[in-house]
This record gives sequence, structure tokens and C-alpha cells, in this order.
Amino acid sequence: MAADLTTRTLVSHAQLRRGRGRVLYWIVLSVVVAGFTLVFLGPLYWMVTGALKSGQEIAQTPPTLFPRDPQPGNYVDAWTNLDLAKLLFNTFYYATGAVLFQLVLDTAAAYALSKLRPVLGKLILGMMLATLMIPAMVLIVPQYVTVIDLPIVHVNLLDSPFAIWLPLVANAFNIFLLKRFFDSIPEDLMAAAVMDGASPLRTLWSIVLPMSRPILGVVAIFAVTAVWKDFLWPKLVMPSPETRTVSVGIYAFAGGTPMNVVIAASVIAAIPTVVLFLIFQRNIMSGLTTGGLKG
Amino acid sequence: MALTTAPGATRRTGPVAPTPSRTAGRRAGLGRKVRDNLTGHTFLIGAVACFAVFSWYPMVRGVVMSFQRTRRGETTWVGWDNYSRIIADPSFWTAWKNTFVFTGLALVLGYLVPFFVAILLNELRHAKGYLRVLVYLPVMLPPASALFLFKFYAYDPSEAGLFNAILTALGLPTSEWMQSPTMTMPAMVIASTWMNMGGAVLIYLAALQNIPGELYEAAEIDGAGLWRRILHVTVPQTRLILALLAMLQIVATMQLFIEPLILANGAGTQDSATSVAYLIYQHGFFQNDLNGAAALGVIMLVVLAGFSAVYLRLTARQD
Amino acid sequence: MSVPQYRKVAALALAAGLGLSLAACSTKSDDSSDAGGKVTITVDCQPVGAQKELLKNWNDDVAEFQRQNPDIVVKSVSVGEQCNNPPDFTARLAGGTVTDVFYGYMTDLQQVLDSGQAMDIGQYATKDTIPTWDSVDPALKDVFTDGGKLYAVPVKNYSMGLIYNKALFQRAGLDVNNPPKTWPEVRAAAKKISALGDGIAGYAEYSAGNTGGWHFTSLLYSQGGQVLSADGKKADFNNAMGKQVLQNLKDMRYGDNSMGSRQLLQWGDLLTNAGAGKVGMFIGAPDATQAIVSQFQGKYQDWAMGPLPGQDGPAKATLGGGEGYFFKKGLSPEQVKAGLKWLAYQKLTPGKGQFDYVRAKPQNYPVGLPQPLLFANGSDAQKQELELRKANANVDTTNFAVFEANPVPIKGEPRNAQAIYAVLDAAMSGVLTNPNANIDALLKTAEDKVNQLLAAQS
Repeated sequence: MAADLTTRTLVSHAQLRRGRGRVLYWIVLSVVVAGFTLVFLGPLYWMVTGALKSGQEIAQTPPTLFPRDPQPGNYVDAWTNLDLAKLLFNTFYYATGAVLFQLVLDTAAAYALSKLRPVLGKLILGMMLATLMIPAMVLIVPQYVTVIDLPIVHVNLLDSPFAIWLPLVANAFNIFLLKRFFDSIPEDLMAAAVMDGASPLRTLWSIVLPMSRPILGVVAIFAVTAVWKDFLWPKLVMPSPETRTVSVGIYAFAGGTPMNVVIAASVIAAIPTVVLFLIFQRNIMSGLTTGGLKG
Repeated sequence: MALTTAPGATRRTGPVAPTPSRTAGRRAGLGRKVRDNLTGHTFLIGAVACFAVFSWYPMVRGVVMSFQRTRRGETTWVGWDNYSRIIADPSFWTAWKNTFVFTGLALVLGYLVPFFVAILLNELRHAKGYLRVLVYLPVMLPPASALFLFKFYAYDPSEAGLFNAILTALGLPTSEWMQSPTMTMPAMVIASTWMNMGGAVLIYLAALQNIPGELYEAAEIDGAGLWRRILHVTVPQTRLILALLAMLQIVATMQLFIEPLILANGAGTQDSATSVAYLIYQHGFFQNDLNGAAALGVIMLVVLAGFSAVYLRLTARQD
Repeated sequence: MSVPQYRKVAALALAAGLGLSLAACSTKSDDSSDAGGKVTITVDCQPVGAQKELLKNWNDDVAEFQRQNPDIVVKSVSVGEQCNNPPDFTARLAGGTVTDVFYGYMTDLQQVLDSGQAMDIGQYATKDTIPTWDSVDPALKDVFTDGGKLYAVPVKNYSMGLIYNKALFQRAGLDVNNPPKTWPEVRAAAKKISALGDGIAGYAEYSAGNTGGWHFTSLLYSQGGQVLSADGKKADFNNAMGKQVLQNLKDMRYGDNSMGSRQLLQWGDLLTNAGAGKVGMFIGAPDATQAIVSQFQGKYQDWAMGPLPGQDGPAKATLGGGEGYFFKKGLSPEQVKAGLKWLAYQKLTPGKGQFDYVRAKPQNYPVGLPQPLLFANGSDAQKQELELRKANANVDTTNFAVFEANPVPIKGEPRNAQAIYAVLDAAMSGVLTNPNANIDALLKTAEDKVNQLLAAQS
């Protein structure tokens, strides 16, 4: 806050503190706060209370603001019928694995490309970056066929968490972010470690990584979000009900479940991440805004 | 595991002699070089293997598949058959038209709205944290949850629907939303923007905070009004981020899939929601035609590559 | 995050990750080995946990079957509430992850053959493995036969009729025992029912997710039409009969406003509304009432069924379909025989498995529905099954009496059904969401599209 007061933005502070500007500022502020609350929190309120309404009440005109005859049974049905505990567990399991795999393998690769620079390193980096331009949808069919029968080893990864973890490692954006960050670490620091006889692994571990915490945080957030938001890929490679993610599970059951229960399931599914987000929001926000994409 | 740090090893910026750095390594013998390379490749191997198996190889495989047909367990070469079949698909052109319309609308709404929201938030001196959390909150919902919310409540075509109730209360005409071929696309863009804009807003905010205040000062002294300050200071100063996000957004919106799948039950009314990605899915997984789907994927790749080329041309010229 | 926090999280995550991947490894199912002289088969379409009684029945059946056949081990796999959800089914076929004995629709034969996953079971499917085999309707066996080879055992068969809500009929002053027999009568009844207000649709219809095309086909059959020409090379619905189908819907939707304002419905959407008592009539198979009750919170006593209406008399034909179990390529003869024995026990023996009406009677599942109609008319098994059904019925069989007393000729689905249905969805959604829809144009577009599709597929 204190720092903000000194930075000049689009509108000068002086202007906002004077008579007319001040009134205008407060009007805008209240409109924004009220509007944003309505736009972003309103639907969530509607969702939580809507799931408590009966089928008849939902179809009523005009819609009721509060459920007249709350039916918490919808939430119970959602929890048990959709096996939400299992779906949520799966999703978090996949997310955790994705974070670990991406942090370990992508960091190692970016470190090698940035600091160790082996032969053909430039070519490999180029080939990795080229995939940035290829959207997932284009590769969905051949990727799917590949996962069904991995080349050479002939292993079928359907319903195995590796079908989610490993393709996510092939993330050129992560490599790019990490490499750029590592590039900005002065060579002198590394040289000192090499002088001390430290191996590359040791240097990575005790010099590079400690300095890279913000960027590692960003990669971790991206990894979790990718698993959380992805839909078609997990839908295809996790066809069994026991291995589904939350999003896919809710979709799969939506066809054969009353709408109130679907909405109740949606609410429950959203709770863990929203709570996690509210707890860690400061870190997530600062990670995304400072570490991620600067200039 | 990579997150942990050896105790006390945070910063070793002590008295370090800067001279014997890389040159020392260069002078070392051949054995050392081989060993260094080996170490380097050892670090690379995991990621490279994943890229090879899940990215590079499928690219080639996709092209190969698009010229083959697998039937009764036997694969044969069929030349351009898959392409002609896919293009003959009655929904092919509709899907492209819809996808471009969505991409265009998303550029107007999903791209500009976050930018102006970020500018607005950057000016406010109160409730900053609260507003930021609010904007990012929908990103935290599972996409299916957010879309069911829109499908069942907001876009209910009867008077009982949330949006229609609001419109009625305001004395405005109601809409049938997903049931109206003209509203299908705007409705999908609204839902998609609502649930995805948080990330873009935060990135813009970061970029806005890096704009030196003197530039605004100077512009104001030159008599530039609010709008001109945005146009002549804010936009040029955030140009790189704006260009990057435009590209990312276009690539993302061209892959439109889950919105039609959930909001429009697939194709929507009279094919008004069919997207190219949905068509790939239809062919590959409903019509038992993985080869045709692969061909459509290759077509999509070519279109996007052409698009990227134009983009690179444009941005290169600007710089 | 401060350093210590970071470390704690990382340590936790690592520990959790390691533990979980170990757990994941151990849950991998082992191969079906014949260790100890036992034959193991995997079978899918086990009911899911939410279908508590069905699941218990299934598990009891497996236990009893294994007791009677100590050398056979049946491993059940659940693939979701809807056993054949096309994308997942395709995924399993393409991935070769289908179970040894796997469920499919009658229309899936071509896709299963294309995938190269099915085997010819003709020589094994006999009276020895399936005691009632000779009573099974030959027409159903034909559906699963290609080039003289049999690829699946039929386990369910249905045809569509007009399902109607008796409670709403009563409130609207309609005769609950005399459902509409023609489309004009349906229209008149729908008008009366929707006049009840309260968001009730007199007649409801699908128009999305390929279900619109599916029902269009059925409606077209009722007019005496067909989707494709006899040689299967041309679309054959852009004619007076196809127009009549869409005109009927348009008249109800916009002429009388008796179909409700919510359209673009697919399977679950319509049944949700029906379960909530907001639908007067719709066309469907008898087991739609079961779904309404067990999944969508409806009540049996509300629902009855009549034959599919026709334009000015009884329907000329109705859409039929069914399900069966395929056998995965590469099974040993012992496994095939074991699989057939299991199907014989659970699906094709009156008094057992799906025909265990004594067990089903007290449960929340209907006994008395005129399906699955697996046995040929007049065969021993059919008579036995009918007697048992009548004796144990827990739904009022008179609710289906009109349907049973007025059989309509059954017609199967067209080739390339899913692709054609996707095209016809657009025609259905056109008349149901656009008051100014031009029926001729909609049908012409659909015809062109289907013809293009057929030309490209050949």
C-alpha cells in the first residue's frame, strides 16, 4: 500500500484527492466493488442456493432469491452418487504428480540448456519451442494413439496417471520460463561453486534452485491449473469411472443425474480449490504477477 | 523434491573471484568436454524423452495417420482420401466459420475486457486484494462446474432463467440464449470470458505496474486526456504482453471444445455451436474415424501455422 | 511462502506422491491367468455404486454363478452408468482395453469389427453353453451376425412407444387408459396438458447430442418412412413423410406452444424434466420409465405407455434396438465358453439374473415392463419368462397393456447411425428453436449432408 501511493499511474493521486476527483473516485470504487461482487460472487451464490432448491422451485418464474424449502439431500446425493471423494482425490493426485514431474524434469532440462549447454542444446531448445505453436487439439488423436501403445516399449497408459503426468512434462512454456530465469543468474555465482569443486547437480541444488523459488512457484501453479482445467485429455485417457478427474466425472454423470444434483456436485467440487486459493491467494497472486511474465 | 534447499545455501555472493569462469572450462581437455556434455544430456534426458514421445513423435504420427485408414485391424495407405472425406463433411465449413466467429468475438470481449479491468483495478487504491481475488475466483472452479452453472441457471431459455429474470426486471427483451442461433456464440464467449479472464487480468496488472509514472506525468503536462494517455502510454508500454496474450488467446480459442460440449450439448441449435475441435472429437470418438480426425488435426495445424507466420511478420515489423 | 513452509509442503507432497504411486501400482489388475485350472474372464457393464440394488444383484449373481461353476472366475468391471458412452467405448476399442466379454449396442457391430477386437463365437454359442439359445429370437442373432459369423450374444431388445404421464393426463381431463393413437391426437392432448401451466410441456422431444436424430428416425418410421434408401446409398427422408414429422413438431412447438420453452434437450435433460413432472408425453422405450424412477426421482405409478402413434392410424413401424455382449479377440475356447455360460446364467435364464423377478419385486426396479423381449414368440423360454413376469409384477402391468396389445412392426437403426443422427439433430433443433424455420430447407440441407456423408464414407 505504502509503495503504491508513490507510484504514479494513469490518473494522478493529487487529482483523486481533490474535490470533484475524490467524489468521482469514490463513486467509481463503490460501483466497481458492487459490480464485481455481483458479477463474480453472485453466480456462486446462485449455484450454492440453487443446488438447495427442488426441481419445481428451479423452474419457477421469477426465480426465488432464497430456497424456500431447502433440500440438503441434493448435496448428500451428489457426494455419494458421484463418488466425489474419489474424483477429488484423483484430481489432486494427478495435480501433485504433475507438479513433481514438471519441476524435476523441466528444471533439470532448463538448467542444462541455460548453464551446461551441451552440444545440440540449441537445436533441442529450438525443437521444444517449436511445439509452443502447436495447440493440444491438433495432436489429440496421434497423442491418444501413442498413449494407447507407447512406441518401442508397447505399454498401454490408459487409466494410468502417467498418461497425464508425462505429456505435461513436454511443456515448452515451462522450459522457456525456467531457462530465461536461469539465464539471468550471474555466471560468477556458478563459477564460484565450480571452483569449490561442486558438481553440476550440487550447483543446481544449492545455488540455482534457492534463487529460483518464485519461478518454481509459478511453474507449480501452472502445473496444478493445467491438470485442474484440462478436460478432453483426461476424458480420453482416463475412461474408467475410478480414474476420472472431477470435471470429467461431473460431466459424465450430468447425463443421468437430475440438474440440482449436478449443480450440488459442482459446488462441492469447487470448494477444495477455492479454499486452497483463499488460503494461498497472496502467494499465488504475487507469484503470477511478479514471477511470471515480466515485460 | 526440487523445492527444498540445503540449509544456509541461499546466497553465496561473497568474495568471489570473477576471472576464472567459463574460460577455465573451455581450456580443459577433451575428456572434460565429453564429461560435461554427458552431464548436460543427462539433465536433459527426462524432458527430451517426454517431448519425443508425447510431442514430436505424435506430430509425425498425426501426419502419417492422416494418409492411412485402419479398418478391421488392418492399416492401409489411402492417399488424400481422409482429407476429401473430412472436407466433404457437411459440418466442416460450418465448424470453421463458428470457430472463427468465436475467436473474433473472444478477441473483442475476452481480450479487451480483461485489459480495461486491469487498468481500472490498477487505479483503485482500496479493496485491491478483494477485487483481485474476486476476478480470479472463477478460474478456480472446475470448468465443467462453471459451465453447468451457466447452462442450467444463466442461460435457461424460460422466464425462470437468471439472465432472463434480470432482463425482465430491467424491462428489457429476453433471449433464448443457447437456443437462439444468433446468441449461441456470444453466450459461449460470455461464459468463457467469465471463467477464464482472471489469469489475463493478473498478467496485465503486473505489466501495468512496470510502466514508469513519469510517462503519464509527461503526457498529462502535454495535455493528454484520459483516453489519449491510455492510447499513447499504457498500450505502447504493454505492447509486448498484449501481443503475446493475443497470440496465446487466439491459439486457445481456436481449440474451443468444452463450451459447445456442455453449454450447447455438442452442436447447438442448427449446428450453431459446432467447432473444429468438436468435429475432431465427433469424428475420432463418435464416428469411429480416427484417421479422418487426424487429417482434420493436420488441417487445423496448417491454418494455425499460417496464422502464426502472419503474427510473427506483424510483430517483427512493429519491433 | 517462507523457506520452512516451502520445505514442509515439498516434503509432504513428495511423501504423498511416493506413497500414492506405490498404491497405484498395486491396483493394476493382473492378467487373466489360468492358474490352478481356473478360467478367468473379465466382464464389463457392472452397475455403478449409485445403483445400489442393481450392483448388489450383480455381485450376488457373480457369487452364485461361481459357486455353481467353481472352475470359472468372473471379474466385473464397471464402465459407468451408461455402459456404452460412444467416446469411451471408442477409446476402449481403439485402446484394446475392452474386457474379455464386453457390452455393446446392436448398432456397434460395424465399429467393433472395424476395430478388429471381436471374435467369431458361432461355433461356441450352442445349447451346451446357453441352454435357452434355441429360444432366442433369431432376428436378434441376425443383428449380431456379419458374413455368416456371430459376434455377440443379444441380452436386451426394445422398441419405442409413446410414454405418458397418467397424473398429468388425469389433471388435464384426458382418458388415462386411452393414450393418443395418432399424431393429431397427440397434438390435441399436448395442448390440453400444457394448458395446465406451471411450465409443463405437453409433449417433449430431443434435439441435441445425436438423440434428436435418433428420435427423428423413430418418428419417420411411424409415418412409414425410412432414413436411407434400400441400398443404403441415399438419404430418403426429404419427402412428404419427413416433412410431416417436422410439421407435427412445429405445430406443437410454435402453433400450440405445447412443448415447453426448454429445447436442445438430450437424454438426461428430458428425463430430468419428466421426473420433475413437467412432461406429459414423449416417445421412448419401456425402460425409460425405469430411468425416470431410479435416476430422476420420478414415480412408477405416474407412467404408462401406449404404442407409437401414426399419422392417421397406428404407426407403420417403430424404432427398435438392443444390446449384446461381444467377445474379445484372442480368448481361449475355455474363456469363450465360460463367458457364454455367464451370459446364459445372468441374461438368458428365466428366473435368474435379469429375469430374477422374485428378487427384483421388492426393489425399486420395475417388474412387468414388456422387455427385454429376447425370446422368440411361442418359445418355451418366452412362456416361462412371461409367467414369472406376470406373477411378480411390481408395476401395474395395465400401464403397458395398451403398448403390448398393439404391437407395431420393428425397424432397426440405419447404418452410420451416429453420423446421420448428428446431421438430423440440426433439423430437429431447427423446428424446435426457430419459429420461422423453413421445413423444406431444413430437410433439404440434411439430405444434402447425409448424401455427402454417404458418398465420402463408401
